[in-house]
Amino acid sequence: MLFALMWWVLTDGAMDSWLVGAPVVLFATLVSVMLLPPFSWSLTGIVRFVPFFLWRSLHGGVDVARRALHPRLPISPGMVNYRWRLPPGLPRVVMANTVSLLPGTLSAELHKEYLRVHVLNRREDFLSELEKVEQRVAAMFALSLPPSGGGK
Amino acid sequence: MTPGDYLAVALLIVGGVFFLAGTAGLLRFPDVYTRLHALTKADNVGLGLVVAGLALQAESWAVAGKLLLIWLLVLLAGASVAHLVAQAARQRGIKLWKR
Repeated sequence: MLFALMWWVLTDGAMDSWLVGAPVVLFATLVSVMLLPPFSWSLTGIVRFVPFFLWRSLHGGVDVARRALHPRLPISPGMVNYRWRLPPGLPRVVMANTVSLLPGTLSAELHKEYLRVHVLNRREDFLSELEKVEQRVAAMFALSLPPSGGGK
Repeated sequence: MTPGDYLAVALLIVGGVFFLAGTAGLLRFPDVYTRLHALTKADNVGLGLVVAGLALQAESWAVAGKLLLIWLLVLLAGASVAHLVAQAARQRGIKLWKR
């Protein structure tokens, strides 16, 4: 479905292109099923993730742009460890990539037990932000997290 | 010009400002980690606004979809590459700059 939509977009909906498109879509689906282990996901989780992500990443861009243009360069970077509550695999990768696009955080290392995050400003409350992100990512994959927060 | 045109122009200009800020960050920030912050986040928003501006002017849904697809791929690539660069920097023992 997703690949068929992508093909339609790429070919401007040209009908005759489906002669090539149909096998390609089928092949792409097959390969993706082979490469990607099956995982559970929740449509409402994804739908609710999109506005959250757009808003927070816009915030992230504005925040870093302001700091970059500010005459005194108001940053005080540091490195923190965030203990995973998500299971290994795709959910962690999604979280790491999301974290990199949100305000003031950049995932530097995917460790077995924690995510190492570089923060642009140590004084900010990045911990509750990370917990929120993890919650949202978990919702997308229809997972429930242990209640105790990640912590350092 | 229609109101839609004005909105598109505004989005493109503001998008450009974000690219400018991202580049300023790349030049002004003190170490590799902080520079990655500037590149990934500012350019992601900049490109998002440029894509939104261009999508308003797109002739068909397919073109708008193509633009959206480009943005999503750049997001994915940008975040992944930033992570890989940061990880490589750590493995080489590059110290982070502290105030």
